[in-house]
Amino acid sequence: MSDAEELPELARTVEALLFLSTDPLSVGELAEAAEVGEGAVTAALALLGERHSPGRSGITLRELGGGWTLASDPSSEDAARRLFSRPRVSTLTPAQAETLAIVAYLQPISRPEITRIRGVGADSAVATLLDRGLIDEAGHSQFGAVIYRTSMQFLKLFGLRTLDELPDVARWDPTPEEQSELRERLLKAGEARAS
Amino acid sequence: MTLANLELDLDVFTGPFDLLLTLVLREEVDLLELQLAEVVLAYLDHLEARGELDLETATEFIVLIAALLELKSRLMLLGEEDEELDIEPEEAAEELLARMLDARRYRSASTHLRELLAAEHGVRFREAPLPANLRRTVLAPAEGSQDPDVLGEAIGRLLLMPPEINLKHVSVPRVAVSERLALLRGLLRRGAFSFDEAVRGADRMTVAVTLFALLELYKRGEADWEQDGSFGEIAVHAPVAMAATGPVAVASTAAAGLAG
Repeated sequence: MSDAEELPELARTVEALLFLSTDPLSVGELAEAAEVGEGAVTAALALLGERHSPGRSGITLRELGGGWTLASDPSSEDAARRLFSRPRVSTLTPAQAETLAIVAYLQPISRPEITRIRGVGADSAVATLLDRGLIDEAGHSQFGAVIYRTSMQFLKLFGLRTLDELPDVARWDPTPEEQSELRERLLKAGEARAS
Repeated sequence: MTLANLELDLDVFTGPFDLLLTLVLREEVDLLELQLAEVVLAYLDHLEARGELDLETATEFIVLIAALLELKSRLMLLGEEDEELDIEPEEAAEELLARMLDARRYRSASTHLRELLAAEHGVRFREAPLPANLRRTVLAPAEGSQDPDVLGEAIGRLLLMPPEINLKHVSVPRVAVSERLALLRGLLRRGAFSFDEAVRGADRMTVAVTLFALLELYKRGEADWEQDGSFGEIAVHAPVAMAATGPVAVASTAAAGLAG
């Protein structure tokens, strides 16, 4: 299909709905709004994906955060930055990234638990992540501490369809050899302190 | 000088402090037999002899002696302590290792997240919310809520003085000190009596006021009392000698004693 070719009506409708929505829309939501079956929506999305594939359009179709959404093509970022004062969340400090990783993998999780895992306080990192909309408060633990989970914004900004797309955290575990070496070093350090 | 050079001469050990620490930690010197106070005294002597305080060494000493104290108290309480609280060095190392691995795991995960974020650099999404008229549910303003009369009425209700609350059914027990003074004086005239007798069957307020009256009598030198122990019976009697020296100053201390 060339760019000049007209999109079928359903594809145009889906495109309009995606343009209007701030949150990713699921196939189910799109089908309900357009009053068609989900299969038709999936086909329409495939057409739109082609139309909006990188390099062909300033807008790309992305599957993120449990649904479909339109996003700007990264090539427009410099211009976008000049146009909008508010910068995209582009970097995280190591502390913020660590805190975010802990929330992402262990959610829902309370701040004291985050602190326990990191071994240092996480107050300011949590505040920044909240401020940037990457995590949300999700009620209270049984001991009254606020618990956190990652937000839809998190999935969008990190290009994730669902949390399941995060790799298994065990892949960063050290090898048994590294572990035993660490254990040795710890015991040695303990002895050094003792003598 | 460092702590290592501190020479000790104790009942169970003679030598440098550093060696003592090592021996205690290797359990070659029984911590239970070691008088830690002696170690502290030796250190103080040592400080005095030197004539100056090296803060760093002093801090090191305090930390070490505190650790020894904790170790010793744990040893002494061994039987009573919860088994789970006893962490063997091996176990402690294992726990520390587990925690380090946990931290390392999420630190690596955070690197991965940062890479993901960097890969998405420059991707922006629509951020403006959907115009109100395009939203699925449009809530009509609640009926009549915009009528100024509704507001006026609401504030009007707030400005009304509430009716005075009737307290007639609440009775406040009132006990006059003079009344209780008269009673105590009456009892005194008959001779000695116990405080319990004077307040038998009385409510808390009356007991308190009676005590107050008793203090007043004591202050004026009209009465004296004995109490064998805390919460014991208070035997009240006329002062043995009607001394002219007013016991006013003692009244407050006596009150404290009585209360105890």
